[in-house]
Amino acid sequence: MCAVCGCSDDHHHHDPHPPHDHPPHDHGPHSQVHPAEGRARSIVAIEQDILAKNDRLAGDNRRWLLERQVFAVNFVSSPGAGKTTLLERTIRDLGGRLPIAVIEGDQATDRDARRIRAAGARAVQINTGAGCHLDAAMVARAIGDIEPVRASLLAIENVGNLVCPALFDLGERLKVVVASVTEGDDKPIKYPAMFRASDVAVLNKIDLLPYVEFDVAAFTERVREINGRARVFVLSATRGDGLTDFYSWLSAQVAGQATAALEAKVTGAGLA
Amino acid sequence: MHELAIVSGIVDAVTERSGGDRVVRVVIEVGRLTAVLPDALRFCFEVVAQGTTAEGASLDILETDGEMLRVREMEVA
Repeated sequence: MCAVCGCSDDHHHHDPHPPHDHPPHDHGPHSQVHPAEGRARSIVAIEQDILAKNDRLAGDNRRWLLERQVFAVNFVSSPGAGKTTLLERTIRDLGGRLPIAVIEGDQATDRDARRIRAAGARAVQINTGAGCHLDAAMVARAIGDIEPVRASLLAIENVGNLVCPALFDLGERLKVVVASVTEGDDKPIKYPAMFRASDVAVLNKIDLLPYVEFDVAAFTERVREINGRARVFVLSATRGDGLTDFYSWLSAQVAGQATAALEAKVTGAGLA
Repeated sequence: MHELAIVSGIVDAVTERSGGDRVVRVVIEVGRLTAVLPDALRFCFEVVAQGTTAEGASLDILETDGEMLRVREMEVA
């Protein structure tokens, strides 16, 4: 049997050749019958989204969360942009009024989950090992573990990575990309897939602006260039600048989730 | 390494439909905006397809505009 095309030896192949040095050749029409096997080759149309399985599971997560009025946010960023710090601060400032649970994704360690628990919220840690992103199946298991309460916020902190997590729907309602002033104001145009996929861009660490070269207006402009619908928050999770606006928006979103769940119930329509 | 997850999706999509026939070629469409590397896909495909009906199949990658990631068709024998 030919190692490259898989057809049997005794049909019209080229002259004998070394098995691993197989020049490109035309097999003719695909419906041709290979004489030795008497089997037709045929083309089967598939037309299926490669991530269909993940998207299906993400849809299940989304419906489950909506039914319980749980507002899920997928936080994405490069490593070290301050996702965990922003969540810790949010839990300390809003946790009394708004139940918050956190799913933490990292390649290794449960350091972030411990930080979140110390801040006063429930947390489940997912370690992806070699994996560079969370997927919908991992999040489904974590949701089962953490059992978010009704009318709450579920923050999913993705693996720090500005590339891969953009592709994987987890069942969240919104994706928030966190960037920081130490990363450079050109990140939106260098990592467009992530900024395009996000609903909100948070610019963190603005307390460091006196020490770094970073043009906030240029950053915002670049976010808009990539994604016209994205909302931008400029803040410092450590010093507290800009958090009031961020909290007002977040609280309104969670309240809106309750309304969406009610409307879905009334109309009998789940969200896609 | 998100290419590995993507390739698992490709292999699942074709093996579920191959009905035991051997898959000799798979055609996929990959949008340029998806940040997916064709070379990494080919490498992973060879590994993931081992032991399935798609083992040894060739992977034709059509680069398209936009964010599409689709298995278009396969050739079975």
